[in-house]
Amino acid sequence: MLDIFDSSLVSSTIRMVTPILLAALGGSLCARVGIFNVGLEGFILVGAFAAIVGNHFTGSLWLALLLAAFVTLLFSLLFGYMTVHLRANEIVVGVAINFLGLGLTTFLLRAIFGVKGAFYDKDMQGLPQLQIPVLHDIPLLGPILSGHSPLVYVSFAAAILLYLFYYRSVTGFRVRAVGMNATAAKSIGLNTVRLQYLAISLCGILCGLAGAQLSLGQVTMFTEGMAAGRGFIALVAMMLGQSHPFGILASSLLFGLMDAISIRLQGFSLPTQFTAMLPYILTIAAMFFLKDRGMGSNRASQQSGR
Amino acid sequence: MEALKQLRNSLLQPLIATAIGLAAGAVFISIVGASITETYQQMWNGAFGSFYFFMSTLARSTPILLIALGLAMAFRAGVFNMGAEGQMVLGALSAALVALYMPGAGVIKLLAALITGIVVGGLWSLLAGVLEAKFKIQLLISTLLFNYIAVLFTSYLVSDPFQDKSGSAALAQTAMLEKSVWLPKLFPGMTLHAGFVIAIVAAVGLFLLFRFTSFGYEVKMLGSNPFFALYGGVSQKRVMLISMFVSGGFAGLAGTVEVLGAQYRFVDGALTMPGYAWTGLMAALLANSNPIGVIFASIFLAALQTGAMGVERNTEVPLELASVIQAVLILFISARFTYAWWKKRKQGRESHA
Amino acid sequence: MSVRLEMKNMTKRYGQFLANEGVSIAVGAGEVHAIVGENGAGKTTLMRMLYGMEEPTSGEILLDGKPVSFRGPDDAIRHGVGMVHQHFMLFPDFTVAENIVIGYEPKRGGFFDRAKAMADATALAERYRIPVSPTAVLGECSIGEQQRVEILKVLYQGAEIIILDEPTAVLTPMEVSELLATIRTLAEAGKSILLITHKLQEVMEVADRITVLRGGKVTGAVAAKDTSAEELARLMVGRDLEQLSERTEQRGEPLLVVHQVTMQEKKKKPVLDQVSFAVHHGEIVGIAGVSGNGQSELLQAISGLAAVQSGTIRLKDTDVTNRTVALIRETGLAHIPEDRYFWGAAKEETVAENALMGYHRLPAFSRGIIIQRKWFHHLVAAWIERFAIKTSSAHEKAGNLSGGNLQKLIVAREMGRETPLLLAAEPTRGVDIGAMETIHQALLEKRNKGDGILLVSSELSEILALSDRILVMFEGRIVGELSRAEATEEKISMLMAGGRGDGSTQATA
Repeated sequence: MLDIFDSSLVSSTIRMVTPILLAALGGSLCARVGIFNVGLEGFILVGAFAAIVGNHFTGSLWLALLLAAFVTLLFSLLFGYMTVHLRANEIVVGVAINFLGLGLTTFLLRAIFGVKGAFYDKDMQGLPQLQIPVLHDIPLLGPILSGHSPLVYVSFAAAILLYLFYYRSVTGFRVRAVGMNATAAKSIGLNTVRLQYLAISLCGILCGLAGAQLSLGQVTMFTEGMAAGRGFIALVAMMLGQSHPFGILASSLLFGLMDAISIRLQGFSLPTQFTAMLPYILTIAAMFFLKDRGMGSNRASQQSGR
Repeated sequence: MEALKQLRNSLLQPLIATAIGLAAGAVFISIVGASITETYQQMWNGAFGSFYFFMSTLARSTPILLIALGLAMAFRAGVFNMGAEGQMVLGALSAALVALYMPGAGVIKLLAALITGIVVGGLWSLLAGVLEAKFKIQLLISTLLFNYIAVLFTSYLVSDPFQDKSGSAALAQTAMLEKSVWLPKLFPGMTLHAGFVIAIVAAVGLFLLFRFTSFGYEVKMLGSNPFFALYGGVSQKRVMLISMFVSGGFAGLAGTVEVLGAQYRFVDGALTMPGYAWTGLMAALLANSNPIGVIFASIFLAALQTGAMGVERNTEVPLELASVIQAVLILFISARFTYAWWKKRKQGRESHA
Repeated sequence: MSVRLEMKNMTKRYGQFLANEGVSIAVGAGEVHAIVGENGAGKTTLMRMLYGMEEPTSGEILLDGKPVSFRGPDDAIRHGVGMVHQHFMLFPDFTVAENIVIGYEPKRGGFFDRAKAMADATALAERYRIPVSPTAVLGECSIGEQQRVEILKVLYQGAEIIILDEPTAVLTPMEVSELLATIRTLAEAGKSILLITHKLQEVMEVADRITVLRGGKVTGAVAAKDTSAEELARLMVGRDLEQLSERTEQRGEPLLVVHQVTMQEKKKKPVLDQVSFAVHHGEIVGIAGVSGNGQSELLQAISGLAAVQSGTIRLKDTDVTNRTVALIRETGLAHIPEDRYFWGAAKEETVAENALMGYHRLPAFSRGIIIQRKWFHHLVAAWIERFAIKTSSAHEKAGNLSGGNLQKLIVAREMGRETPLLLAAEPTRGVDIGAMETIHQALLEKRNKGDGILLVSSELSEILALSDRILVMFEGRIVGELSRAEATEEKISMLMAGGRGDGSTQATA
């Protein structure tokens, strides 16, 4: 068993962590404005599909990424319109968004590419593996840290940027205020609606990139429902990290490791179903350690008595 | 007068959502470049165009209805059980195994299989309930993750230990059930089976439970304001655990009747591919968890799907159109569905601050 | 004194209901202007119009002689109108300084300049002699300090006119006198203060001029030096209050015995600390105290809504410590909860369904598991009549009832159980005088029948009017017990602030 833990496992962890990290950071933006976004899964799926469409029709990876971010941004605005404007239950909307993501992508897969299940094109280029000049030459660390898709580096940068946004910028400060006490935020004249839309759109962009990493970074194809629960795992990563960017980074690394291990174990004689189960089982196990158990616990508000 | 107003109010939102859903469908039909009226005409024909099609629609609605009933119970109690899919496949496989391997007369085996399906689905669901009650692990998330585990586990069981080895192709499925344990068809030559009758009876039973019993009252109040219910002496845990067991049981039953009445064996993916569980969830939302409303919602959603098959047979429009319409419809139904909840959560959040 | 703010002929209509009718007030610079009135007199509506939260149906607001109309609070803030809300509009995870500058944050290079925020907050606090610690996290500050943060926030926003909505309701007597001093300081600095309250002693102490509202209309506008608390009370209520029926000493056997009860979250200060007392048959025991000193937790412990870590609670000789709500209710407890919307009702359900709670499993109203709603309807009809609950029918949504009528429904429901013990928490909060009298009379009748009542109220007048014995809670402990004869407002106030009731004061938190 020990020989599964080697440097290439670390390297593949870093690769696997990206979609979860990006989506969890996006989810934290929504959480910070008081919206529990169960629709991350749908966002990722739409992003993954848009990236493939962009790549197929433009042949440009950059345009593909741009399209993934843009289309998912539009999709997230729909989520925002329902929850912020129509004040629909955010959980029901989130679930519906997941259906819609699945329905739209399968429908358009048929309509655009005329295929069922999966689309693959051998001429299609995946995201390049960046060899970072100096980093690459460091012994041992070099091969681990270098040679990933640009989105891997983007995701780690996003965690740092989001930290600066929350804790150093005025807008980030106000975003946190909205989630903490929306009535108070309104009473001092903050435009809570605009801040909520801002957070939701940023979430959309991050999830779009998460999807692009799935369909262009790890493989170069789109399969129906290829998000495979990563949106929900990201949600748990977000809760485990208490919506703090570095907390999320740590918990996402943990889940990325699970993903990497489960892929690695496929080489062993275990049935594939069991290795595939691993990330989900471990995610549930991780939930035992959640401090802020979110909506599951009404105890706190009960204690306050009002 | 009051009652009429109530009825109007409760029907208004689903109708608006349905209209928006069909309008969105129209947009996608025109994107594909087909005729909107012709497509919807084909859809109607595919669902209700002949007695055979109509019966097929009802057959398809059977598992959807059963799942929706269970979820109606959970939603009413304010419990977000998202794990119907896993509960359904585990129930179905257990039932299939009992029907295959238990000795005894056909009727006994049939009954035992039905009960096993309910109990196994219920227990799997109850596990998530216990995790929430004991360890405060959010049901909403744990049930979602449990789906993946259950589906992968059943897939393993039918592709290895319980695989049907008789055929030439090694498909992931159990052996065929013997005829004596099949649920009878309602009409010769039609796909509709006795499971539909079970589902209708269950719907009426659930309606009576909500309407007249003290337990139904507690469920309703818990969904309406959990703190009020607690204050009044309702045991939140008890009601939550019961509704988890019941909703899981219904999901297990849904899978079971599909195995015993339609497929006669457990086939990997045969229950998950048509998305029965998710459609059932949509039906419960669409009907605002009203058991009688759920009957119509389930048939309507099943008709969208069988109708879409008709569309695919006769036009260029792919059958995934149905999923798009359904999702849009649910997106908008929720604009009201739990508006009250939303306000309450918001209220709770504010007063907490 | 120049007139800074004038509100002329303000009228606000909600459907058929006139919340304000032709209300006019004028406030000068450096003036403390009190607006007094009973609950529902229209004080809050008037202030919400001034603060841009409600649009007046008609009327005119003049600032320094110029007509203005505010589209929202931010608009009002820009014009120098600030409001300290009764429920603080603060952010528990932010520091005091962050709470003060939010919305108008100092920036440097595009980033939030926290050092400047800290310096600004400190300077402001010193200038107005309002003590706060800018680096503290707000959630860990006392209620009094949080209120000071609210005031500083409003000052930071540049308010010249400051509305204080029932500011003393949540404060200890000592914090109250500090607040009144702060109000005077602000007035001397030239600020105009609008003080909304129904506590007449405070008004007499601090206000320059007083406007009295009743039923949405001005019933008096006087200078403080020309009036008295008694005259204000008459203007507020419009008639002399009914006397409560006579009572005789009739204390019976112990009914509820609370012994050494402690409630504590891990590693935190106990919210209930070794609480012991008893309620006997035929008496009303009042619990006085500034809210947040353990009263809510005590009620939750007795009714089974929250668990205690040690001690015992006995009801009618049955040990009910940490038992279920259902069992305790069955043993003989009814409970008027402190927050009618949070605990007491389901707003989306009908009056009848709300009334059924607690009765739905009683054999008298069910056959097996089937509830017999028809049998129950007579009872609800009787309640509606006895308590004069205004509702179109028993099938009306409970949320459509006014606060007072919903409260009467809850009181009727809990009294209707005819249990030996009744917990009554803030039974008349936010109801009009008429409803208050009805509820008080009903509580006394229950006592006279030989039942026991545990009354928790933040209104001292209510405690004094109803209780046979008075217990005072402070920081989770019972710090004093007074008989009806020896209880005075002064003694209770002293105990509420953590003093010993003999004039000396312990260090307050």
